[in-house]
Amino acid sequence: MTSSAAVELKSITKRYAGHTAVQDLTLTVPRGSIYGLLGPNGAGKTSTIRMILGIVRPDEGAISVLGDPGGGWAVNDRIGYLPEERGLYKKMKVLDHLLFLGQAKGMTRSAARVEALRWLDQVGLSQWSGRKIDELSKGMQQKVQFIAAVQHHPQLVVLDEPFAGLDPVNSQVLKDTVRDLSRGGTTILFSTHVMEQAERLCDSVCIIARGKKILDGAVADVKRGHGGRHVVLAVEHGNGDVERLLADRSLIARSDNYGNYAELELTSGTDPQSLLERIIAAGARVTRFEIAEPSLHKIFVDLVGAEAAVPVAIN
Amino acid sequence: MRKIWIVIRREFVERVRTKWFIISTIMGPLFMSGVLVAPIALATGGGRDRSIVVVDLTENGFGERLTADLNRSQSIKAERLPTSLTDLTSVTDSLSELVRRKMYDGLLVVTNQALEDGKTEYLGTNASSPRDMQILNRYVQETTLTERLTRAGVDPAAVRQARLDVQIQVTKITGVKGKKESGEGAFALAYAMWFVLYLSIIVYGVTVMGAVVEEKTSRVIEILASSVRPFQLLAGKIVGVGAVGLFQLLIWGICATFLLNHQKEVMHLLRLPMTSETPSFPHMSLVTAAVFLGYFILGYFLYAAMFAAVASTSSSEAEARQAQTPVVMLLVVPSVLMVGILNDPNGSLAHTLGLVPFFSPIAMPVRWAAAPVPPGELALSLGILAATLVAVTWLAARIYRTGILMYGKRPSLRELIRWVRAS
Repeated sequence: MTSSAAVELKSITKRYAGHTAVQDLTLTVPRGSIYGLLGPNGAGKTSTIRMILGIVRPDEGAISVLGDPGGGWAVNDRIGYLPEERGLYKKMKVLDHLLFLGQAKGMTRSAARVEALRWLDQVGLSQWSGRKIDELSKGMQQKVQFIAAVQHHPQLVVLDEPFAGLDPVNSQVLKDTVRDLSRGGTTILFSTHVMEQAERLCDSVCIIARGKKILDGAVADVKRGHGGRHVVLAVEHGNGDVERLLADRSLIARSDNYGNYAELELTSGTDPQSLLERIIAAGARVTRFEIAEPSLHKIFVDLVGAEAAVPVAIN
Repeated sequence: MRKIWIVIRREFVERVRTKWFIISTIMGPLFMSGVLVAPIALATGGGRDRSIVVVDLTENGFGERLTADLNRSQSIKAERLPTSLTDLTSVTDSLSELVRRKMYDGLLVVTNQALEDGKTEYLGTNASSPRDMQILNRYVQETTLTERLTRAGVDPAAVRQARLDVQIQVTKITGVKGKKESGEGAFALAYAMWFVLYLSIIVYGVTVMGAVVEEKTSRVIEILASSVRPFQLLAGKIVGVGAVGLFQLLIWGICATFLLNHQKEVMHLLRLPMTSETPSFPHMSLVTAAVFLGYFILGYFLYAAMFAAVASTSSSEAEARQAQTPVVMLLVVPSVLMVGILNDPNGSLAHTLGLVPFFSPIAMPVRWAAAPVPPGELALSLGILAATLVAVTWLAARIYRTGILMYGKRPSLRELIRWVRAS
């Protein structure tokens, strides 16, 4: 296993009573990247994350995290984790709580104090440090939990559905913070079922559904691999010749035609360039001809079908 | 190890800060002084003498002598009222009315017959006080006896001598040399040990259970599980809560010692008389304290581990309360059978319960306080308990490890076995 990977999973499988949560999953998270683990609810994202963190062990397969082949535990103090299910000790004071969680990650109490205060200041919670957790709003509690995931300078930060329940402003703050961490060399692995977020933030992604990998790789590669067949066309003075051309199933596999505007999916033998020539030759005035990249969401739906977006019932 | 320490520290500091801890720590000594003072206050009736009327139907001076004897006692003031048989009903009626109005505590009707059949009648508001009746009984009995003997021709001087108080001083012989306790004291000590052990093991065991369930329901466990190993978390939690318990027991112990050593001053402060009848409280030897502490610690760990395992399989407080029943029952068994142990501390019941690991944390210290226990048997009991503790902790840790991350319906026995066997 190469040390350039922050996380490497090799054919891991995890079964629970009556169902398989993760099946034969292989993926590599490059060091320093922002990596998205994508899939609908119930796809096995949280199970995968728990195995990476060493909280549960896979039934089969090998896991290497930050160069440690024994699963995530030995390097535990160098990992930060924001669980999907957020929760803190309600009766503890904010600063005490952060000190406890910092120490639990191997920090000294004084170092934890410095970092916690710095982060509280950064997210605008300085004046709340002496309050009890249950006096804070949900959004503030999420911020405290985020601090707990990053205050010990982890080399790998794992965020499980970090955007769930955040308002647009705080979503933006989180995205900026994640980008800052990434620029500082931290590897970010996050899971989400909202493909649009991943598309904008991630360098690489892995899409899983029902415990199995659908595809993975750098976002640009993934799109290139599934792109080039989609064309957005807008014309003026459309005529019957153009209509006949667009209805030709030997050229165009699928079209979504609004008359003056159409989204086309070309058959594998069709060259977009020659299609453009024929449309012009047919007498239409082309105002837009774009070879579009498909969204991750479109790729996902194309690959696994819309029904895979529905989680499988256990048993 | 460092992480266990961090968990212990949090558990201890957060708990000691709670209102519940502060209130119960203060209430403990108050309760203790109550236990110390209340029986005395009740027994002495607030230091007031009982005043009774002796309704005298005798013609031979027996009534007079009885009244004089009663007045010699420290707590009875008797007045004699000579009456004839014909007036008896009206006299008792009017006196009963005075008793009802609390001018007297009661009336004692003495007849000539009393010397023959020993029957004397007492009517009073304090008729249900065992102590008052005991004193009354004793004086009536003594005077009647003297009277009979004198009549039978025995020399009054000889009778007086025969009447000297007889008191048996009961002392328990224990297995440890030089350890001496009064029988009554041993009983009180055994009882107190049972009370404190049973209560503190249950209270702190249930506290551990609540802490585990709280971490599950609030989902703090998600982040804890990524930082601390389940066993570290379990061990830290049990030791932390246990330390809170020991800390509280220590405060209570110091208070109790202080109260007992200054019983006189405390009594004086409460304006209660310090008489020979004031119950003396047992002295707890260092060895007994060590036995108590040893069984408390081992017993607490054993039960806390079981409570934690039960909690880890539950998703809510209510579910855990239901699931805890078998564990609590284990603790209740030796408590229910405690009377049996005290009645015959060397019997086979006491022997058996002192060795069975789930019962011994309560049964053995109670037995130890009540009767001599051979050191070999104590060692065997502790050995069995320690071995069980290791086995139960191992099982509990394995159930806990999987249980804390599981939500939804409680696992079946088969699933539990699979959790335990999983590597």
